[in-house]
Amino acid sequence: MKALWQPTLLAVFLTLAGCATTTKHQVALTGDIMVDAPNAIANGPPRDRVLWEYRLAAAAMRQGKYDIAKQNLDEALLTLGGIYGKDADAKQARSYFHAEAKKTFIGEPYERSMAYIYRGIIYWMDGEPDNARACFKSAEFEDSDSEQHQYAGDWVMPEYLDGLVTTKMGGDGSDAFKRAQADARGVKLPPYNVKANAIFFIEFGPGPTKFATGQYKEELRFTTVPSPVASAELKVDAFQIPIAPTDDVAFQATTRGGRVMDHILGNKAVFKSTTDTVGNVALVGGLATAVASNNRTAQEVGLGVALAGLVSKVVSAATVPAADTRSWENLPRYLSFASVPLPPGQHVATVQFLDGAGRVVPNLTKTITVNITTTDRDKVVFVSDTSITPQTL
Amino acid sequence: MKALLTKLTIPICSIAIAALAAGCASTSGVKNPSGVPVTHMNADEQGFVAGTGIESQDLVMVADKMARSILSIPQIANAPTPPTILLDPVDNQTRFPINRDIFLTRIRAQLNSKARGKVVFLARNQMEALEKERNRKREGSVTASSDPNVQEFLGADYLLSGTLQGMSTRAKAGTSDYVLYDFHLTDVRTSAIVWEDSAEMKKQGLEDAAYR
Repeated sequence: MKALWQPTLLAVFLTLAGCATTTKHQVALTGDIMVDAPNAIANGPPRDRVLWEYRLAAAAMRQGKYDIAKQNLDEALLTLGGIYGKDADAKQARSYFHAEAKKTFIGEPYERSMAYIYRGIIYWMDGEPDNARACFKSAEFEDSDSEQHQYAGDWVMPEYLDGLVTTKMGGDGSDAFKRAQADARGVKLPPYNVKANAIFFIEFGPGPTKFATGQYKEELRFTTVPSPVASAELKVDAFQIPIAPTDDVAFQATTRGGRVMDHILGNKAVFKSTTDTVGNVALVGGLATAVASNNRTAQEVGLGVALAGLVSKVVSAATVPAADTRSWENLPRYLSFASVPLPPGQHVATVQFLDGAGRVVPNLTKTITVNITTTDRDKVVFVSDTSITPQTL
Repeated sequence: MKALLTKLTIPICSIAIAALAAGCASTSGVKNPSGVPVTHMNADEQGFVAGTGIESQDLVMVADKMARSILSIPQIANAPTPPTILLDPVDNQTRFPINRDIFLTRIRAQLNSKARGKVVFLARNQMEALEKERNRKREGSVTASSDPNVQEFLGADYLLSGTLQGMSTRAKAGTSDYVLYDFHLTDVRTSAIVWEDSAEMKKQGLEDAAYR
């Protein structure tokens, strides 16, 4: 009998050896995005790489580290642009026994749009307005598959900027302007000024994040912390420009409507619930039969039914209908834009952020020194309420 | 007892093998779990990594078509002296960011290699370096094979320009992208467009339901 241990140990060993093929990507977080993100990109799960690239890009933009932002956005958008066809991780994410978060993260449409918007801003900074326009078009495109058509492609700023770039390049941007104005929901957009060579992108407020509801957390939901900032004011030279939000990222997140994946997760939840109920019934019924009966055959049948119930319970327990709540959580709530004509030379721009009552929110005022070297090329300035300033551009 | 052990060893070993198989199942359903080694591809063929955007095979196809087309026009084919051509950056109106110069670089390289001497391209993008070198010659700090004070920088006879325009659709059935590549040669003296040709591409794809 002692010899039985050898094959038993072999079985345990082989099982453990088999399990050892699953690589664990554990990344210790420090709380500093500029440290954590590169570490997670290099050593974390590959399926989360795009998420960290998004986060790092946004953080780098606010620190004026546009090279880092550009590199990470390019990497992320490369993944985003090549997701067509079969994908093993996505297939697993659809299966009963894997979570949706198993798939490679590319984000919900509002997150994908924001990646294109940020990349467009950097292209414009680099003197490539046509590639910036391409990104703004792609930002709109990512939002074009809403469940309700009225919310499809309804970002205001990318549409407006598409037309502005076209106008600046000698084309006709009036159609894009009209579409942007139609989506602007109460904000009157300024007419295009081709002589305005200083372009200010301004963002503020905490953006939306995801959470899950439902019995099995299978329903994806969005939440947004109320923004302490409701608007802003730009001062540069003699210009004093009120900055109202043109886009609400939370609105974009919540108006997409149902996903195909929501349907799949719903099915998973039903399967989990059904197998659990069947398991309960079979387990209780089978055991009761086995205990109550004096007949050996009935007892065996009862135990068989109980065993089947147990299997059903195990299957239920292994089913994972949870929605993917990985979020690009350092997105802003509001986006806005201003442009002014500035002559060559040094200009100090100040952006004050205002609360709902129009009062300046303390400690958020940003100062940027803008050097205009030529009027042939636009100077693009990016300012967030979380930007680290003073910056010199 | 020995018979019992023999009887039990086989099932336990079977369980062990099954357990091993179960353990290895962590990669089941994963396509190419060990990766794919570097594969040499021709630039004009579609690889196994593809999107609906502008890719190398489009670039090669379009540039080859344009280069062949330009050479066939009388203004180039019958010119007594090789005309000078200036490249104008491509106007990208699609939703795909691209390197604006890559199409014209490919067309220029194609024309220079296949029709050597029939056209002359001007290196205006290197003017700063060229002017510096000419100034050094004028100052006498470097040698000159001709009189550096004579203006020898060539003016352009033609301007080669391109426009990329696109139409994109996204629906439940997938994503569709159409791109029109249009190139034209303009006589800079008369502003007449002496040549124009276009190519078009349409691509469609559908992502996994997990992303929809």
